[in-house]
Amino acid sequence: MTRMQRFAASHFFAFPIGALVALIWANSQPETYFVFARAWSFPVNDIGMVVFFALVTAEIVDAVSPGGALHTWRRMTLPFVAAVGGMIGATLAYFAYLRTGDELSVLSRGWPVAGAVDLVVGYVLVRGIFRRHAAIPFFLLLGVAADLCGAVVVELLYPVAERHLAGVALIAAGVGIAVAFRRAGATSSWPFVVIAGASSWWGFFLSGLHPAFALVPIIPFIVGHGAGRSTMSREDGLSRFDRIWSVPSQVGLLLFALVNAGVMFKDIGTATKAVTIAALAGKPLGMLAAAGVAIACGLHLPRGVGRRELVVVALASSTACSFGLFLATAAIAPGPVLAETKVGALMTVGGALLALTAARVLRIGRFSPKPASKRTGHESARRSAAPRSLAGV
Amino acid sequence: MRTLIAFLVAIGSAGALRSPAAQAPDARPDALRFAVIGDNGTGDRYEYEVARQMVVAREQFPFEMVLMLGDNIYGGQTPKDFVQKFELPYRPLLDAGVRFYAALGNHDNPGNRFYQPFNMGGERYYTFAKGNARFFVLDSDYLDDKQRSWIDDSLKGSRDEWKICFFHHPLYSNGGRHGAQVDLRVILEPIFTRHGVDVVFSGHDHVYERLKPQRGIQYFVSGAAGQVRKGNLRQSDTTAAGFDQDQSFMLVEVAGTNLSFRAVSRTGKTVDSGVLQKGPRP
Repeated sequence: MTRMQRFAASHFFAFPIGALVALIWANSQPETYFVFARAWSFPVNDIGMVVFFALVTAEIVDAVSPGGALHTWRRMTLPFVAAVGGMIGATLAYFAYLRTGDELSVLSRGWPVAGAVDLVVGYVLVRGIFRRHAAIPFFLLLGVAADLCGAVVVELLYPVAERHLAGVALIAAGVGIAVAFRRAGATSSWPFVVIAGASSWWGFFLSGLHPAFALVPIIPFIVGHGAGRSTMSREDGLSRFDRIWSVPSQVGLLLFALVNAGVMFKDIGTATKAVTIAALAGKPLGMLAAAGVAIACGLHLPRGVGRRELVVVALASSTACSFGLFLATAAIAPGPVLAETKVGALMTVGGALLALTAARVLRIGRFSPKPASKRTGHESARRSAAPRSLAGV
Repeated sequence: MRTLIAFLVAIGSAGALRSPAAQAPDARPDALRFAVIGDNGTGDRYEYEVARQMVVAREQFPFEMVLMLGDNIYGGQTPKDFVQKFELPYRPLLDAGVRFYAALGNHDNPGNRFYQPFNMGGERYYTFAKGNARFFVLDSDYLDDKQRSWIDDSLKGSRDEWKICFFHHPLYSNGGRHGAQVDLRVILEPIFTRHGVDVVFSGHDHVYERLKPQRGIQYFVSGAAGQVRKGNLRQSDTTAAGFDQDQSFMLVEVAGTNLSFRAVSRTGKTVDSGVLQKGPRP
């Protein structure tokens, strides 16, 4: 199991539990819920989620390090192209749906939400369908790329406050401090988080960028040993960071769901339908189209991943839930538009049902009449199960 | 500080058959009179009929302005739509010099704030004063930090006798289709109560409803000047009066410490009326 997979597995229960409690609370005692959510919005969304995104960044750093899944451009190209295709497909579907009504101008900010991929829910889903298969890391790479695109788009287009140049200087100072720590040979992650991270957080806050991403530019400087470190060493800075912050990150994700997933069912509206349709139809179609073009241009799917598996992976990636909620709260100010969009993000959990149905109809993974390892080849199954198994991606 | 509003009179009820003229508040020369319409911009015959009823009402109750609570133009938002859904139905009022002040609804293009007859000054949220009242207009689609700070500061700085807010999404409503926007309420209501807002008008639910005063503030939902959802009002213990059987609009007069209101149906029936009186600010 790779570190990315462990990350997804360890965080799986946090979001559904928090979301379920929030939904029940918001629909039974809305006033107390929204007072609570408003009071905790800043500490959870802008501070607590820093840890979560730091760990996601650590996974990405891991993946692009030598031996990692994204190391060398050839490996990252196809899932990246598919992710961009998914985003384009979701965006086109979102706006196409809105053009059938008269709320396009008011709801236009919600489009990045549909392009998000819930890595945690999606991972457990594809894991449940494929068990051990190259489709799993392919899904994770695709999801990371999609969320990265979504985060960049939201940060660039929808800053949470007015931009101040002083913020950029503070971010630069934070990165400079991190570089200095690394050159000084600091192996503990604490100086990076407490000193460089604090400067970066304040810089993000002032610059109008979302402070939850404050550790994203800092994490790459925490010394790690690449993708193999989970088996080679448990004592490098990034691994220690991972161990220290894993549980707080799960708590953060649970609180994030509790604070943000509480929507009233009556808030289903045009944005809800637009996000749901865009995520469940536009995104997988866009992914498949982009992947088809990429394959026609000479790129290759991972060994063991065929067209049928690709369809199921694309549908599994249509669940936007947690990251969709994050992008919604980052891009849209409080009010009915945000509420409608959030309901849409939560309803994309229906993508799980679509993926399961597709897997059953296409008879792949656990629904295959033969063991997956025999059909896809013993070699590919063995490769996909190992930490450095993404050579085919 | 919270404004105390005492209901001296709250007469009338849904379905009451009284003509607007019979119920018109006394015409005091120093009084501020205005009409309130919400969710009106359909361009269909019902909007035109409501507009005609407003013209009739103005003969007895010469209001000088109209508050538009959002969804001012449904569907297309082309110049032709503005003519069909706004300029033609309200032409007699516009020609008589009645000024319209609009709030943005979820069906309105935010760019409509630049449409001169809406008198928004190109702003999503703005304020203006008339007589002894100041009006605060919000964009409830997006309640960003900047707007929140603006309303807080603007209300704080106002020394006007009456503070009246209007925006599209209701903080309190028993409309079955949408209902109260509780997430907005927990943000705005503390600001309103802190700075002594007296009255809030909203639309969105296509019914008329007068709420019982909540934390010292009188809330009205008046979102049926174009569309109506018959039978959609789920009256609860927060409902003071309501009407959901036909299109409706409101007539309001602010005279000194009294605010008289009347809800009028498309056919000219008074479906609710009453008087609010301000108590001294504590």
